[in-house]
Amino acid sequence: MSTSTSLVDDLLATADREWRALGVQRDDRAALAADLRADLEAAAGDGLDPAQLLGASPREFALRVAEEAGVGRTPPRYGQVLGVATVGALLALVVGFLGVIGLHQILVAAFDLPPGLRVPVWLAAGVFYGGVAAVAVTGAVLAVRFGLRDAPRIRHTAARMALLLPPAVAASIAAAVALGWSFDFPLTPLIMGAEAAIVLGGFLAATTLARRWSIRTAI
Amino acid sequence: MIAAEDGPEAVAERQAQLLRGCLDMCLLALLAEEPAHGYELVRRLDTAGFGTVSYGTVYPLITRLHRLGLVANALQPSPSGPPRKIHRLTESGHERLRAWSEQWAQFAGVVNATLAARPSNPGGDHEHVDVAR
Repeated sequence: MSTSTSLVDDLLATADREWRALGVQRDDRAALAADLRADLEAAAGDGLDPAQLLGASPREFALRVAEEAGVGRTPPRYGQVLGVATVGALLALVVGFLGVIGLHQILVAAFDLPPGLRVPVWLAAGVFYGGVAAVAVTGAVLAVRFGLRDAPRIRHTAARMALLLPPAVAASIAAAVALGWSFDFPLTPLIMGAEAAIVLGGFLAATTLARRWSIRTAI
Repeated sequence: MIAAEDGPEAVAERQAQLLRGCLDMCLLALLAEEPAHGYELVRRLDTAGFGTVSYGTVYPLITRLHRLGLVANALQPSPSGPPRKIHRLTESGHERLRAWSEQWAQFAGVVNATLAARPSNPGGDHEHVDVAR
């Protein structure tokens, strides 16, 4: 009995992988698995081989069950969304950097700052980091919205990214600054790498959450 | 060419085509008779004379019937453990079965009448005469 149970477990794990790949919701997967388990365990209890019942391709079987059950099939495509968002953010940063350089030269040529003007460090840092973050978020959202326009629920995902990314990136930058501050802002590769990883982690986490949010509300 | 079409594979293929349009109705009929597991329905189809219909064909169809609300789960006492889940017909399932059965009887009547009207020896009892004028 334990062998047949483990065989049923294996078959259900295969089916679950297929349903996951199809983007079937967790609740639907659980319901499909519970019904299939009941049937297969009953068959095994009566001496039948569950693997033989499902045929040569349990994956194909799982696909047909999902189709007939009419469960949601929005493929999450997390990897694609994260990749496009990251590339979009980096491209926006490069374009933004070139724009700032050009703008800086125009402004320097056009205006002279009063000699006594002193800009507070926190304000300068806030404008700098805020500007960088805004450009990166805008690039990521636009890249996902238009670069993956054929993907299901992508408009919803882009809207959720616009909502989640600003606070996530702001919090990540604050955490990175706090880390740098705690070490007196050393310019060592380790600390700078850690700061970059924190910001990138926050960015990727918020993007994943945005995609997950839009997939979960798909049905 | 004709011999190949008359082979067992061709017969099985034709049988599968005929079954495709009525298997869901037959499953409802079998469940109306008595609730069952998916694999038990495979057995019953075989016993009824449909030949071997795979579990991989039957189970997804049951899933569809569940989605349509024609079939629901029921618990069956088991001598060797906790009650087991089986499939049973719902009230909508019974109604749908009645409607489909009537439709099938009408359709089958038309098909049978068409086949019965066909001459047993084509060309033997008709003489085609071309009238010149």
